[in-house]
Amino acid sequence: MGSSLRSFIKDVRGAKTLADERAIITKQSAKIRTKLRDDHLPHEKRRVNIQKLLYLYILGEKTHFGQVECINLIASDDFVDKRLGYLAATLLLDESEDLLTLLTNMLNNDLHHPNKYAVSLALTSLGFLSSPELARDLYPDVENIIKNSKDPFLLKKALQCAAKLIFKDVSLLEIFNIEDITKILANHSVCTHGVLLGVAKILQSILSIGLNRGNDDGEDGVDYNSDVLSPLSLLLRDFFVRLENLNSKNIEPGYDVQGICDPFLQCEMIYTLKLYFQVGELLDSKHVLDYKNNFCDLLTRIATNTDSTKNSGQAILYETVKTIFSLNLNQPLRVLGVNILAKFLTGKENNTKYVSLNTLLNVVPQEPTAVQRHRKFISHCLQDSDVSIRMRALELSFAILDDSNLVDSVNELMKFLAKQDEDSKDLIVYSIDHLVDTFDFHTVKDEGWKLDIFLNVLKMVGSFINYEKINDILIIINNTTQLSDKSDFLRKLLTISLGEKSIEITDENIGWQLVLIWCIGEYGDLILNQNDESSTNIINESSVTNYLLNIKESYTTTNHKIFNYILTAALKLSIKVHDPKNIEQLRQLILGYSDSSDLLLQTKCNQYEIFFNQPVSVRKVILETMPKFEKINEKQNNIKKPSKSLISDESTNLISDLLGDDSKTEAKTLKSDNVQPIDLLEEIFGEKKAVNQSVKSGEEQEKSADLPLQSTKNSNVILPSDAVKIHDSTSLNVYASLLSANAGQAHIELYFQAKLPMSDLQTFCAVPKTQKLTLGQLHPSSTIEVNQICKQLLKISGSGKLKLRVKLNFHLNGSLSTTNEQFDHKFDKTL
Amino acid sequence: MGVQFILCFNKQGVVRLVRWFDVHSSDSQRSQDTIAHIYRLISSRDHKHQSNFVEFSDSTKLIYRRYAGLYFVMGVDLLDDEPIYLCHIHLFVEVLDAFFGNVCELDIVFNFYKVYMIMDEMFIGGEIQEISKDMLLERLSTLDRLD
Repeated sequence: MGSSLRSFIKDVRGAKTLADERAIITKQSAKIRTKLRDDHLPHEKRRVNIQKLLYLYILGEKTHFGQVECINLIASDDFVDKRLGYLAATLLLDESEDLLTLLTNMLNNDLHHPNKYAVSLALTSLGFLSSPELARDLYPDVENIIKNSKDPFLLKKALQCAAKLIFKDVSLLEIFNIEDITKILANHSVCTHGVLLGVAKILQSILSIGLNRGNDDGEDGVDYNSDVLSPLSLLLRDFFVRLENLNSKNIEPGYDVQGICDPFLQCEMIYTLKLYFQVGELLDSKHVLDYKNNFCDLLTRIATNTDSTKNSGQAILYETVKTIFSLNLNQPLRVLGVNILAKFLTGKENNTKYVSLNTLLNVVPQEPTAVQRHRKFISHCLQDSDVSIRMRALELSFAILDDSNLVDSVNELMKFLAKQDEDSKDLIVYSIDHLVDTFDFHTVKDEGWKLDIFLNVLKMVGSFINYEKINDILIIINNTTQLSDKSDFLRKLLTISLGEKSIEITDENIGWQLVLIWCIGEYGDLILNQNDESSTNIINESSVTNYLLNIKESYTTTNHKIFNYILTAALKLSIKVHDPKNIEQLRQLILGYSDSSDLLLQTKCNQYEIFFNQPVSVRKVILETMPKFEKINEKQNNIKKPSKSLISDESTNLISDLLGDDSKTEAKTLKSDNVQPIDLLEEIFGEKKAVNQSVKSGEEQEKSADLPLQSTKNSNVILPSDAVKIHDSTSLNVYASLLSANAGQAHIELYFQAKLPMSDLQTFCAVPKTQKLTLGQLHPSSTIEVNQICKQLLKISGSGKLKLRVKLNFHLNGSLSTTNEQFDHKFDKTL
Repeated sequence: MGVQFILCFNKQGVVRLVRWFDVHSSDSQRSQDTIAHIYRLISSRDHKHQSNFVEFSDSTKLIYRRYAGLYFVMGVDLLDDEPIYLCHIHLFVEVLDAFFGNVCELDIVFNFYKVYMIMDEMFIGGEIQEISKDMLLERLSTLDRLD
């Protein structure tokens, strides 16, 4: 075809720079536009211009101005023009275009064209562009081909087209004649695989309509059960036999794919039969259901006879398994299905593992024990190099976890966690969340083992655990019945942190530090009062006190959460140590916050100081160890597990009653009749949440909504009028507003407006080296609903041009995978 | 069932073929964004150690395969059977290979309209319509001669 198309493509490819390429494309696009407007343009030129236009389309350029020309080309008598016209129409037009009405006439003509290639073009295009209007107008023409044509080449296309049209306009079901299909199936000379595919598609269309429609009588007066389903049954039995032959047949040269006879047609047939039985079940049609046993037998044969080592065989097996479970066929078949999937897991190929894990996840509720039997292979997938496979294996591991395999499963998970690094943060967070839940739902006899597991978890991935889960872990520690287990736990924590191996735990491991600090406050006495001569003596009053002092020094950042923990731990420890020097050190530690810039910390420091001055006997009562927590949340109410009620003891219930505390979703009670400490300690918990906004999940936000501290949180953020849009993507808009920019200091507010619901939004900002950036919290939360806005304050100090690089991480629509976006913005201000 | 779109781009992300089968807005900017997104997702994946399936949106997952420097991508429904679409892609590439005789990227670039012709003989409105390579090639050579 036209040499100038070739040279145009060559020019575009030959462009040295992006700008060159842009120039060539813009120039050519303008040229085509003028040329097409010229009514006297010679025929060949017109064709070449449309070809170029199509090339522009592939490059992603605007092509709307060529749409009318497509119609002109289709009207041409020349086949080559017609072909190009239809190609252009299917690429450039869409169903919403008014031009489609113009097309109707052309299609109508061409469907009766003497040249079968022209008819074929019209059918192909109709398959693309079928709108409900086109469907009504052109169905008779398509039906005409189905009725009269003896050419498989046209028949297969007409059948596919009819399937599309019927699906678009359900009322066509009324005029659709099943006899036509029966006739085609009876005629061996036209029954090629292509035609059978077409028949499958038309049956699928009709059956899907039945599935959507259910028992309701349509307005058209068609009774689906007697008028449609019964006549279809004969056809489907024919299909049934064909599928059986296809599956057992050895090789038919033209249709062989890796030694399997036409996997495409086999899959379509299985899918069609699945729909047939689904409709039968929905309508409770006896003649369909009577046939179900035969179908089970056939599926068993397919499942056992198909070679599972090749991709094509796997496709068939996979379709078979999906059918077994969606029809919930008999138990032996379901077990067979699970075994097929398990066999996929043992293979080397990641595609089959992915498919298998996905399906197993869906079938666990139907066949839990059969899936459990393959736990070994599932655990094996936890070590896979593909993160999407690890994620699914992880989900599945938790889905099949129960009392009988708890210990083994958790041990496997530990092996898994040991190998994860920062890149798989999502997986780590997911594991911890579920691990904590697991220990909530299942009773573990050996609580020492349970605490050891958490020790390891904290050691390995403590820096990734979010604060909410740390609370849960603390509750689990708190609710451990044996004091000796608790003291062992604390001793192990301290031995690692104080010992020479302390390099293992870095300052970033906030999870570890928080738990340790909390435990020192709560259980310090348990280990300090033991006169264990054999211990290496690294754990003593002053070493523990020093630990608290040192850790305070390590965190000069704005992490107020850890300071809150340190304060409380210092206060609690003060009644557990005896050396006056240590007590004084702890007092100084608390006093150190009296000038803290954080108001809450400062208040707390002052309140604690008052405490400190009380006589020991008073303090002892107030600072007694926490009672058992009873954690009540909706999740547990929904899942009826008896284990939960075993944990709660009667005394807590009594206190809950006394305090009348039943409205809160998370009840935290303290055994003490002094009112003041309750306030104080509750404040600590409230505080945790306030500091923790950037990692807060939506669920927690709801829970904390009734805390007074959070009262401002639900207020809606409104976009100020001077905000400038600095980023626009499919997921969100980002606006910036420059609040102030004075010598050496600027305040900027960023507004994130979600276009899709997102959660766990994290922002990372960078400024030039000459500047320093302080990032505020996301307000009101890191979970944003569509069109809602969340804002964040940035303080920048230093000198130089004001510019930002922003990186965003978030989860869309509640999915587990993280989405990243990054953009730069320059403000026209200089500090 | 059915393919929502077929895409083909090279390792640099230059689009070589694009065909939307579902109702797609004529907004070319949005299609370009979608393609760019798909390219980013797929090009960053490990060729050997990761699966050929990627979940893309609430309604679409991607099935792709790389042949030399070209990625062939299909967008399909979430509930669809993944392995069979790999067979689809492979059959398409095999037919291209037989038609052009050792197909390479340049064949597709310069003869894109022929490639669309091949695609349209294999798929109609996103559904596969012919499976036999022999039949396809015979039909295609007839059509090719009509020029």
